[in-house]
Amino acid sequence: MDEPISPGDRPALDRSPGFSESAPPAALPRPPAERSLRRWLGSPLALAPLILLGIVVAVLAIASEGQNFGLSFWGPVWEFIPTDPAGSTYGIALFALGTAITAGVALLLASGLSLAIAITLTTYLPPRTSRILTTLTDLLAGIPSVVYGIWGFVVLAPYFASSLEPNLRNALGWLPGFGGPESAIGGGTGLLLGIFILTLMVIPLTTAVMRESLRSVPREVVEAGLALGATPWEVVRRVRLRVARRGLWGAVFLGFGRAIGESVALAMVLGNTIQYPPSIYGGSYTIASFIFTQLDSAFFYPELLRALVEFALVILLITIAFNLLGQRAVSGVRTRTVPGAGGRA
Amino acid sequence: MRWGLPLALLVVLFPLFDMIYWIAVRALPTFTWATLTTDQVGLGGGLYAMIVGSFTLLGLATGFAAAVGIAAGMYTAEYAPPSIARWARVAGNLLAGIPAIVLGYFGYYALVLYTHWGYTTLAGGLTLGVFMVPFVYRTADLAFANVPSEQREAALAMGARPGQYLVRVALPIALPAILSGVFLAMAIGLGETAPLIYTAGWSSTPVAGLFQPTSFLTGAIWNFYDYPSTEGSFQALAFQAAFLLLILVIGLNVVVQVVAERYRRRTRGMMA
Repeated sequence: MDEPISPGDRPALDRSPGFSESAPPAALPRPPAERSLRRWLGSPLALAPLILLGIVVAVLAIASEGQNFGLSFWGPVWEFIPTDPAGSTYGIALFALGTAITAGVALLLASGLSLAIAITLTTYLPPRTSRILTTLTDLLAGIPSVVYGIWGFVVLAPYFASSLEPNLRNALGWLPGFGGPESAIGGGTGLLLGIFILTLMVIPLTTAVMRESLRSVPREVVEAGLALGATPWEVVRRVRLRVARRGLWGAVFLGFGRAIGESVALAMVLGNTIQYPPSIYGGSYTIASFIFTQLDSAFFYPELLRALVEFALVILLITIAFNLLGQRAVSGVRTRTVPGAGGRA
Repeated sequence: MRWGLPLALLVVLFPLFDMIYWIAVRALPTFTWATLTTDQVGLGGGLYAMIVGSFTLLGLATGFAAAVGIAAGMYTAEYAPPSIARWARVAGNLLAGIPAIVLGYFGYYALVLYTHWGYTTLAGGLTLGVFMVPFVYRTADLAFANVPSEQREAALAMGARPGQYLVRVALPIALPAILSGVFLAMAIGLGETAPLIYTAGWSSTPVAGLFQPTSFLTGAIWNFYDYPSTEGSFQALAFQAAFLLLILVIGLNVVVQVVAERYRRRTRGMMA
């Protein structure tokens, strides 16, 4: 009977019957009674992340004090009257629209760009160049949100206001949304700048996950494709993309979770105006940026505070949902610690 | 896809270098030694208070995150029954995905309002710590799981107790990876604003105390970014803070790369 040669072949001395050559790193062997007790006792420690998560959710739930805002919470009107907080309408739709537009468009752009970059990194570049570019992309992931924000506000916004937006309006003004007035504040802040910055912030994350997804396609499959005479591009299109599809979708989900949670940079470049933006140049809020800017004034109005925590719970639930979807999709991919993989804002 | 490389360069490198360039341009002309050592007094002034604040908050947060994350990672990789381990890992990823502002609200409600402490450095440090836990946890988990099983078998064969194995064999081997995870978490924590604004508050006096509010670099940028850009103004301070942050964050990332490279080289000799 032929025994398969295992990578860790050792001299015949260790080879006794009953030893599995390819045993996965199992837990430490211990007498059964002690094993169960010790392991389960230590579980709270291992579950620390779960416990922390539970504490956060519990505190938020308590903060809302069970207040049900009813149907108007999902309505389109946000009208906060400082002299009559109880009679104000707290509608989330305006901000949800802002979140949907900014995150949605940013993800669309980022996914396409990231896919192109990831394919280039894994297939078309020599390893040394690939590694340099990878390091630079990861560096982009590490840049704080405020720095993106101040760069967007001070450097990009004037450029947007003076050159980009007038040019866009001339060229594409006939498209709905592209011909409208300047933002109420002016100065280049608004949806366009917000989407631009958000796309930049998401790209490093999605690129990293897509890159690792493409890389973890088994070599044998790629080589089989090449052996059958496929060009590198055909191998990418027909083999790699197909095999890595789950991981690529995982990248999109994770990126979406990140985009939804972004608050600080958007609070700086989105031209904070409570309005349904009349055009792509108009300003607005997202759920996250609104919470971020309003939390201090909410100190004086408990109803506003409670409304904001409901906002926070909405984002939290959506983020958790997309995070879980992303985790399930990516579970087959061996990733290093992906930098920036999380809802950092 | 020949246009892939130029596209990648454009999309990734241009913003990176443009950002660094403009921040340097706006920060360096007025950047002196005094910028790092004086407090923010009236208009302009220095970053001293914010630097001290940022490092204090980071120290608190890293202490908390390292303790919880490494311990939890060690247990998840070595001791936990597989079902628990799976839940712990999922929870870790979920915790990493919580938006920073949601965590900021949590810190605000639990540590500022409910306890009636008001804005405190302690609250900021703890909230930031909770934010950083999953990053340390994930790396620690992977680090311990990647210790070659031959080491475990050898240690046990020589009669070591599991505890001895963990502390004297596994931990030293896993340490470089754990350290790189801690540094990564620190780089992320240094750049956070949302968890801190409504927990640590803002203050112009440095080292005011654990139960006092404090200023910090990211908060400086948030508070001063939209002031008029006249000479010696608050906005210049914001850019200087941004410049300092970029240096620190990039520096930490470089350290992480170096440590990761040394770890790779070391364990390459250990794998059979």
